Amino acid sequence: MAIADPSQLSLAEAGRAIAGGELSPVTLTESYLARIAALDGELHSYVLVLTDQALAAARAAEAELKAGRSRGALHGIPIGLKDIYKTKGIRTTAGSRVYETHVPGEDAETWARLKNAGAVLLGKQETHEFAIGGPDFTLPFPPARNPWNLAHYPAGSSSGSAAAVGAHLCAAAMGSDTGGSIRGPAAYCGLVGLKPTYGRVSRRGVFPLSYSLDHCGPLTRTVEDCALMMQALAGYDPLDPASADVPVSDYTRALAPRLDGVRIGVVRHFHEHDAVAGFGPDSAPLPAYVAAFDAACRTLERLGATLVDLELSPLIDYADTNRVILLAEAYALHETDYRERPQLFGRHMFARIGLGAFLTAADYVEALRQRRELCAEFAAATAGVDVVISANATGPAPRIDALTTYTTFERASYTAPWNLTGSPALSVPIGFVDGLPLAFQLVGKPFDEAGVLRAGFAFEQATGFHRERPPIAASLPTR
Amino acid sequence: MAAPISDERWAFLLERAGLDPTKAPERFAELREGYRLVERLQKTVRRTGGGQARDRAAEPAHIFSAKG
Repeated sequence: MAIADPSQLSLAEAGRAIAGGELSPVTLTESYLARIAALDGELHSYVLVLTDQALAAARAAEAELKAGRSRGALHGIPIGLKDIYKTKGIRTTAGSRVYETHVPGEDAETWARLKNAGAVLLGKQETHEFAIGGPDFTLPFPPARNPWNLAHYPAGSSSGSAAAVGAHLCAAAMGSDTGGSIRGPAAYCGLVGLKPTYGRVSRRGVFPLSYSLDHCGPLTRTVEDCALMMQALAGYDPLDPASADVPVSDYTRALAPRLDGVRIGVVRHFHEHDAVAGFGPDSAPLPAYVAAFDAACRTLERLGATLVDLELSPLIDYADTNRVILLAEAYALHETDYRERPQLFGRHMFARIGLGAFLTAADYVEALRQRRELCAEFAAATAGVDVVISANATGPAPRIDALTTYTTFERASYTAPWNLTGSPALSVPIGFVDGLPLAFQLVGKPFDEAGVLRAGFAFEQATGFHRERPPIAASLPTR
Repeated sequence: MAAPISDERWAFLLERAGLDPTKAPERFAELREGYRLVERLQKTVRRTGGGQARDRAAEPAHIFSAKG
């Protein structure tokens, strides 16, 4: 039976259809390219569309299948890459004038792994400048918009990647996450986003923001899709100095509809108390968010999990320790350009990383000491549980014109704590308010991506929020 | 709300960091607005332990493995 619109399939569904001979990689790639041509003029999710290369790769994938060779679940699957992932012979700008014409001579290790697994690259996707400076209307590439409402912010810095996945302009995409740049966009765009354990996925060939906090990971429409992407991405890279030589699980085998026997720790005080106490009334969670979070907890209990409240240090301790390390490392990275040609940076990039110029060596060392204390605290507090849940953004996406330069540092961040601890953290949708998505995070023990994917899958199947689509994701009118 | 930073203090901070504000005056003006956040961050990273100074033995872990 012919598939009416293959862009409506999940990655997993498309992969099964390709493997079963019901769908051609060329047809699938053409369907996404047609959507990009029709819709991306207002969404701004891509900064470079690789039409000819993508079609050539799709034809090659099809030829391999006809010759009896399948590379697995990603064979012939069209994806996108945040434009901080280096692509050999293909412009990679990091969203900055500094690299506006930069063409790398090598691929990021993650893209090499995805390509080897059969993925087709549709294009490079809009990013905040160097993964921190945005949304910035002074840069050469306009900021991506939220697929649920184009007047709203898709979050950042993996803005284009999330917008494209949400609008069905690719089957999946790669983002990066130093303080929440995969999980924030996943939350605001109604997607699944995984920041893996630090060291689980190679960062080699991805523009760094903060060496000790950067993580690479996927943005997808379902948890199963995320598991399939992770299967190709995870694993030791001897050329990434932070890569961990730890065995990789079978992530799809871990997916199950029930959570009987699973113990889940709930960090409530981050959003119920600490946000306002530490960051002021502008960080108060929306009542509809608190209700959605509580409903999500009840769903997990109905699935068989046992929930226990966890008490950690205040959210501000985790979030601001992350920020000091991030700013100090980011400023060190860009110091020469910052001093010698500051006019090349966009407004937000300049104003944000410049704060790192005023941190002292003692500030950085104190942050590293506090990081160790908080990691030890978190490990002890979670010794008796399998998974932790915490809030993600506690309200829907704001309008894109409502953000100020320092909003991101002034407000509570629920994602930054898990960059600090290096824990795997999965953002999963938990509902909607005013037509915009809400999400929470499932946080695991080091290298237990399988555990958070299992919990996310069971929750997703029980609630069905992942089946909601923004209007822009609908099939294009037939000619 | 933090008090605005004085001109003298701002000039000292810029000089210490090796920055020349004449290269992009408007942007440095915005950066000056953001400096209040640095003061909060500096305070927060010294907070664990109820505001007391850390034990001198509380070092950031740095572990050398057999793999180098």
